[in-house]
Amino acid sequence: MAKKKAILVDVKRCIGCQACEQACEQAHGFPVEHPAGLSDKALTFVDQKGAKSVRRMCLHCEEPACVSACLVGALHKTPEGPVAYDASKCMGCRYCMIACPQSVPKYQWTKLAPYMKKCDMCYDRVKEGKPTVCAEACPVGATTFGDRDELIKEAWNRIRTEGDYVPRIYGTEEFGGTSVLYISDVPFEQLGFVMPPTGNEPLPMLSAAALGESPTVVLVGGSMLSALYWITRRRKAVAEAEKFGKFEGKGK
Amino acid sequence: MKALIGKITLWRAVSTIILAVGAYAAYLRFFEGWVVSTNLTDAQPWGLWVGFGTLCGVGLSAGGFCIAAAVYLLGMERYRPLLRTSILLSFLGYCSVCVGMLYELGLPWRIWHPIIYWNKHSVLFDVSLCVMCYTTVLALEFSPSLVEKAIPWKGLRRWYLKWQHRILIGLVMAGVLLSSMHQSYLGGLFLIAKGKVHPLWYSPYLTTLFYLSAIPAGMALLVMVLYLCVRSLQAKIEYSLLQDLSRIMMILLGVYAVFRALDLVRNGATHYAFMMNKEAGYFWLEIVLFLAAPLALLSWRKVRDTPLYLYWTCATVVMGFMANRLNVSITALDAMSGAQYVPKWPEIALTMAVLTAGVIAFRLAVLYLDIVPRYEEPKEFRWLASDGAVAEA
Repeated sequence: MAKKKAILVDVKRCIGCQACEQACEQAHGFPVEHPAGLSDKALTFVDQKGAKSVRRMCLHCEEPACVSACLVGALHKTPEGPVAYDASKCMGCRYCMIACPQSVPKYQWTKLAPYMKKCDMCYDRVKEGKPTVCAEACPVGATTFGDRDELIKEAWNRIRTEGDYVPRIYGTEEFGGTSVLYISDVPFEQLGFVMPPTGNEPLPMLSAAALGESPTVVLVGGSMLSALYWITRRRKAVAEAEKFGKFEGKGK
Repeated sequence: MKALIGKITLWRAVSTIILAVGAYAAYLRFFEGWVVSTNLTDAQPWGLWVGFGTLCGVGLSAGGFCIAAAVYLLGMERYRPLLRTSILLSFLGYCSVCVGMLYELGLPWRIWHPIIYWNKHSVLFDVSLCVMCYTTVLALEFSPSLVEKAIPWKGLRRWYLKWQHRILIGLVMAGVLLSSMHQSYLGGLFLIAKGKVHPLWYSPYLTTLFYLSAIPAGMALLVMVLYLCVRSLQAKIEYSLLQDLSRIMMILLGVYAVFRALDLVRNGATHYAFMMNKEAGYFWLEIVLFLAAPLALLSWRKVRDTPLYLYWTCATVVMGFMANRLNVSITALDAMSGAQYVPKWPEIALTMAVLTAGVIAFRLAVLYLDIVPRYEEPKEFRWLASDGAVAEA
């Protein structure tokens, strides 16, 4: 199996030059001018949070809510790490947009045959062993691409050797772990990071809990209904028989 | 020609206008696109079409499986006269949901994809499979009314009706199971969006809440429809049936009210209800319309005994139910995303047009098929008393 890849974003190192944005725009043929924020024409975006620049993008969860939500399985977690999208299966229900805790998936509202758009971690390049275009473009090493294990080691290394980091990697545990990891010298809460509502339990567990009941509903419900029907039929038969006096001679 | 068009009445004119405006809205949706026809955005990807069309459409169609189960499985023979009306109502409700899918999906020509692409982990997959199966079940349950009138060959007709009758109990049981599942899973859709749903409407028991609220709402709509059948389609219906239905509805509403209250306390969300904001306002609107007002009104004997009052009480229940579904799907998500979504007029126009088409289909079915016993000629508005005598309304 391929080794699991990941992206490490170092908020402390980021200088806000937007080279990652431009590389992404170029790779996808998106316009350079676009409104602030993620959209169907901006799969990554450098967010200004006070003095800090924070790259927003799909975090490529280890157990993605969008993958579990998509009814036709158009989204899937690849063994390499990226959460990829098979547009040929998508029917445009937009449940992935509801399910994603980060609201990352965006929709092509301006098109007549719209698809969902989100970062796919340059899956075609990653398959060939190449890094993502954003990691390649970053001039200061704020976005690095590599094996997830290695990047976590590297991140801890930076946190240990340079004293001013928050001693935490966002993405090792959050939402059951993600393939995009963040380290920062400012607390993540102040940078607009979404904190998981379920502790670190992956979100798909929430729907699994409900869906797990279906076989029980069918089995228990089915037998109960059959039993009720049997009783009803029996009652009718008895009532009918009593009406015609068939039971009268029973004791004799 | 004159007979074909018929008399131009106020309601016919209104219906025609609604359908025409709806057709134009459909043109905008399919040829001008989403931005022109909707106010949907990335922050609010589901709007009126999902919140009203799907959630309310499915929920309010819950009457069919209840009456079918009561008559066929529990042997409550006295509800048999309501059977066909409730099945027709549910069938048309689900048809409207399916038609709604055609404009609320981004790529509607792929509406069949869930048949071959399965994702067992998706709540929406389970919902779509259940809705597909249940719509089929309803079509089969409804089919005798059409077959007995529309198939001219006696042999074929008998053969079909015989087979339909043989599998009927199976259909009714499947209907109950499928309904129980997808009515709850519609609430289950929002479980995964924890953190994006306002605490007044998020609960790990959303599935149970949706199920418990759909049944009384389905009954309320059925009572309204039966009232209107008597009012304008010369239907012969025993009023005591409606009284009994509303009594059951009242008990179910009471159960739901207790469950909802305990659930709010359990989730520690009660204080949100007493804040001075939009969410609290919509919350109380839902509670008053769906629970407080109907429970108070129904406990009043005069309301239960007066058809018109009962009708309006049921209308309150239906409106309260709509408020609940729209709150879960729009208010609750809007509160967290700050999307400030308000539907654009084509969204409303298309929804209205589909509803109107449903009403017309219902009316034609009652007029030309044997759905409910009717007086031959238009007579005074009257109810059938329990002993079969005609009482004055």
